[in-house]
Amino acid sequence: MRLELAGKQFDGRPVLGPVTLELAPSQRVALLGPSGVGKTTLMRIIAGLDTRFQGTRQVPERLAMVFQEPNLLPWRTALQNITLPTGATPETARALLESVGLKGRDAAWPRQLSLGQQRRLALARAFAARPQILLMDEPFASLDADTAGRMLDLTARLLDDSGAGLVLVTHDPAEAAFLHAQPLRLRGNPATLGADDAGALPPHPRDI
Amino acid sequence: MSDRPPPAPAATARRSRWAALTPGLVSAALVLALWAALAAIGDDPRRLPSPMLVLGRLWALAASGELWFHTGMTLARVLAAFAVAMVAGGALGLWMGRSATADRWLNPMLVVLLNLPALVVIVLCYIWIGLNETAAILSVALNKIPVVAVLLREAGRALSPDLDDMARVFGMRPLARLRHVVLPQLAPAIAAAARSGIALIWKIVLVVEFLGRSNGVGFKLHMHFSNFDVARVLAWALAFVVVMLLIDLMILRPWQDSANRWRQDAA
Repeated sequence: MRLELAGKQFDGRPVLGPVTLELAPSQRVALLGPSGVGKTTLMRIIAGLDTRFQGTRQVPERLAMVFQEPNLLPWRTALQNITLPTGATPETARALLESVGLKGRDAAWPRQLSLGQQRRLALARAFAARPQILLMDEPFASLDADTAGRMLDLTARLLDDSGAGLVLVTHDPAEAAFLHAQPLRLRGNPATLGADDAGALPPHPRDI
Repeated sequence: MSDRPPPAPAATARRSRWAALTPGLVSAALVLALWAALAAIGDDPRRLPSPMLVLGRLWALAASGELWFHTGMTLARVLAAFAVAMVAGGALGLWMGRSATADRWLNPMLVVLLNLPALVVIVLCYIWIGLNETAAILSVALNKIPVVAVLLREAGRALSPDLDDMARVFGMRPLARLRHVVLPQLAPAIAAAARSGIALIWKIVLVVEFLGRSNGVGFKLHMHFSNFDVARVLAWALAFVVVMLLIDLMILRPWQDSANRWRQDAA
């Protein structure tokens, strides 16, 4: 994947400056930075959801995304929430449901699942698309520490198994470290991308 | 604590449906009783015939086969106009809800159509297209299209951008997106448009038949109106009300219930 961004404006106000982001197969990077700096905007450009920018974007054929919210189809069952968007077979979907700890919940409606379960379903859906690069936009925000820890474990395992690359948007350097993602920091206005000054923050209690 | 098992959900649903129907049935019976009382007091069957007299006429119409032919013709027109109005109005409304440009250009026409009297549309269709089936069905559909479009426009504006993003990232095909992402979000608006629509449409179909068709319930009403035959007018009206109630109870409501299955709470 290669993104060469010359700039991005909202109503004439520059948000992102020149940004170049290149990802080799299976490479993992994390985009860090305070809220409002433009991390999600950059993510939407990478995902192809925002095409109004100056620059070029080359992405592999199969992308998948885990959003801030689970973004499930409430009127389709857990199994259909995997098969319909991704085209995965029911067998693949069942295997993935099992690997995220939702074995036997094929027929459950999303609103019958807890928030943690809904997020794991969203994770299963993303891997069902057999992504070459997985995009994750603050996927562990708004989860309690326990649930977030289990989601991180699960994500690490699925990433290792599938060999997918990763672009993770987060404000927590510990999440990036746990997933072995190279930390990059968005800063400035308009924001540009630079290496993270490692060690500036103490390690997250979860990792001790 | 009772050791009887709780009733199955289906049985509960059936019972609550009957419980919900009871007030309706009782009030219908009261109206019938009032009608019978007024007819007995007035004692003028040409002005207000008794329910028994009307039922007798209805029976005779059913026995002769006339009832089935004319209600069948009317029903066919209702369904054709309904289908055209739902598809055209739905597509138009969805387009206007999604595109601000389309909304700005089409809104004036929508406002004109909404405020044009049904009768004007019918007369103009008959004059411009001719006294034929196309004109009849088109004029009814034109009366209903703006109402459907307004309802679906509001629903189209409220479509979830998050689910739209999800469908785009995963590259869902347009048809799959329509079926699994968009239409379920529109279902409440579609159900509202369908139920209000079918009621409006059959009333307009009768006017269309009254003015320019040689069969159907509206045509029969025209004939009996010319002869001041109130008993037969009421018999036809009653027959068609029953048909429309059956459509609501047997088709629209079950469809709405099954479309709402995912809202249930029990795990």
